[in-house]
Amino acid sequence: MTRHLLKLVWNRKRSNALMILEICVSFLVVFVVATLGLFFLDNYRLPLGFEWKNAWNVHVGLGRSEAGANPSGDFAAQQAVYARLLQEVRAMAPVEAVAGSWVVPFDQGGMSSTYDVNGRKVDMDADVVTVGFDKATGLDLVAGRWFEEADASQAWAPVVIDQDLARTVYGAADPVGKNLFDPRPGERPFRVVGVVRDFRKGGELMPNGNFIFRFASLDHPDGGPLRNLLIRVRPGTPAAFEEALVKRMQQVAPDWSFEVRPLPQVRATSFLFFLTPLIVAGTVAFFLLLMVGLGLIGVLWQNLLQRTREIGLRRAAGASRAAVHRQVLLEQIVLTSLGVLIGTLLVIQVPILHLIGVLSNRVLTAGLLAAMAAMYLLSVLCALYPSALASRVQPAEALRYE
Amino acid sequence: MIKNYLKIALKVLSRRKFFTFISLFGIGVTLMVLLVATALLDYVFAARTPEVHADRMLGVYRLTMQGPDDTETTQPGYAFLDRWVRPMTKLPSVERIAFVTEAQTAISYLNGRKIESAMRRADGEFWRVLDFDFLEGGPYTAADDEAGRFVAVINETTRERFFGGQPAVGKTIEADGQRFKVVGVVRDVPVLRYASSADLWVPVTTAKTSAYKEEWLGGFYALILARNHADLPQIKAEFQSRLREAEKHLPDPKTFKRLYAGADTLFEGAARLFLPGGRLEENPGARLRAALLALMLGFMLLPTINLVNINLSRILDRASEIGVRRAFGASSRTLVGQFLIENVVLTLIGAAIGLGLALGVLRAFNVSGLIPHTQFQLNFRIFFYGLAIAVFFGLFSGVYPAWRMSKLHPVQALRGRSA
Repeated sequence: MTRHLLKLVWNRKRSNALMILEICVSFLVVFVVATLGLFFLDNYRLPLGFEWKNAWNVHVGLGRSEAGANPSGDFAAQQAVYARLLQEVRAMAPVEAVAGSWVVPFDQGGMSSTYDVNGRKVDMDADVVTVGFDKATGLDLVAGRWFEEADASQAWAPVVIDQDLARTVYGAADPVGKNLFDPRPGERPFRVVGVVRDFRKGGELMPNGNFIFRFASLDHPDGGPLRNLLIRVRPGTPAAFEEALVKRMQQVAPDWSFEVRPLPQVRATSFLFFLTPLIVAGTVAFFLLLMVGLGLIGVLWQNLLQRTREIGLRRAAGASRAAVHRQVLLEQIVLTSLGVLIGTLLVIQVPILHLIGVLSNRVLTAGLLAAMAAMYLLSVLCALYPSALASRVQPAEALRYE
Repeated sequence: MIKNYLKIALKVLSRRKFFTFISLFGIGVTLMVLLVATALLDYVFAARTPEVHADRMLGVYRLTMQGPDDTETTQPGYAFLDRWVRPMTKLPSVERIAFVTEAQTAISYLNGRKIESAMRRADGEFWRVLDFDFLEGGPYTAADDEAGRFVAVINETTRERFFGGQPAVGKTIEADGQRFKVVGVVRDVPVLRYASSADLWVPVTTAKTSAYKEEWLGGFYALILARNHADLPQIKAEFQSRLREAEKHLPDPKTFKRLYAGADTLFEGAARLFLPGGRLEENPGARLRAALLALMLGFMLLPTINLVNINLSRILDRASEIGVRRAFGASSRTLVGQFLIENVVLTLIGAAIGLGLALGVLRAFNVSGLIPHTQFQLNFRIFFYGLAIAVFFGLFSGVYPAWRMSKLHPVQALRGRSA
């Protein structure tokens, strides 16, 4: 049966080739959009690792640009002002906790490092934070402890890593108290003092990844003050508190500028940033598929019209209407399979050649299956009407047809 | 002759309405997407207020410092621009040079309400390089900037937010803890105009500290207005040679050794910003142009295959006509010409539909306020681009079916067979 169908398809290879090409390209379009959507969905299910509700971020503008290429300023004086800021903000009634941080959760900007760990390169996202950061963001400590101010005077530099990084470097062993890697000459070794649950700074839509917290002591300026304050406010704090907050900070540091953004707002911006391209691509893909669908109906209809005599002959030789119907649908499924097969062969180059590192095989497989399902559905739906028309052909009429 | 072809084309279109509908639907949607994209690009890069002289304006928007360990890319700093770009004013081909910062968020609190404004600090020349639409008052001058006067030009939206739309000149506005006297109000500039758009412009010297004067990296753009469009290549070359000279005077030669930047048009500036690797190129514009073209062709691939497929399947429709024409001696070239014209007519009708759809989509964009201060319009230039794209699409998708049709054997064709 299958061989027979393939033969029928082969006999009309010239017009079928184009249809296969069209199905193949549509398949690729659906695959890209579906994979992107599934990638976000897959990430969204995972725990975030911190609490964004009731957290506010204050970006601190130091009145100088933030590029490290500029001559260094008076770090000690700036650090003293920064420490006073933390103190003053902490003293305000609606504030539960406050800490300094280099990067902003959910924000696109960030910091990343690559270190040699036991001879292999490990990429990790990083943040530099002060003592109270675990309270301000609601981190979940699973082993060891958080930073203490006394850590600054040790012979090693304390770090807290997330479970992902712990798994990557230590496997099942307990990382607490171990050095992360051999120190470069003249530098203090990184010693793990604690492990937190997977921390996903990029937000719910971004994948899990290695994360490392480094410690910034308020007494030992190292590269100047941090750029952000993370504040945990009491639930129900009104937005109007923002003005009082900025006024107080402006009193402490008149030369600096402050930009308050509640984390829910940063999160909404980041969702918009990632989802807008998906929505645009999805809309365009939808219209493309609609166009392809209508095109397929037209082409199938026309093709079947040309085969009236063939179909009439089958009917005359005793084939039932259902049999004709089945033949047309099966032929279409064979065509679709060929298009999907070519598309799949192209798509599996992605994991084989490691073209896009962040996509897990699970997401790729799901995207592939979704695209296959969409194409089979589309082409069977498009074949239904023309095939119904074809099966209505009367043998006598068909054989007469010229 | 052409008139005859047109008549036949229209006749064929009205004969099988379903096919005409699916063809036109595909073409219409395809051209709608392309027209919207074109309108967007035109909005960002074409000469319009305030970059009226965009065709003879260059900007230094990005500076990359590269060393053995670190590479940093951001806006150039004031110190770099002041020392290496400002002297270019003396070149006979340069009319004037303005400095302006990148837009930053400035926060104001008005009666317990928080207002976020995009603020730029700009020198006096800024108002002479660019040509804003002033609704009231006027720009501040170079003298205001040098004296460090706290004056501001605001846009219509800011006037609405702070003063309820009442005349604002002479009134005071507070932003980021500083107070400015409003001297002028301009019409809104869309945020997509990345060299000029803001809600609030104030003199450079009003910055809270003067630390910016020492910095090579960070915060500033230089806008160079040439006398003629033809001078641009020469100014670009001059900028590159100054950049090479600047490399010999780097503030921290151990950390950074190389400089990359360009005197860019708006289009090239965007390419330097968004194209991977664009920051290190002398002229990244060509690559962005190629990328956009590739994107357009890639997008047109599926609609083209679809249209080719539909056209091919209709050969049978036309078989007897083709047979008669061939039998009476029409060459295949004539037939190819005829079918191509038919296809172009079809795409042009589709383009008209696409144009209508694009108008609707752009209006929806404008109403939604998704991109602030933006009022997309379809102008003559976009219409022209759209026409060019439609004709190209018509030829592109028509060649293969036309060739196949012209190859029909007359005898076969007269019998009504396609293959």
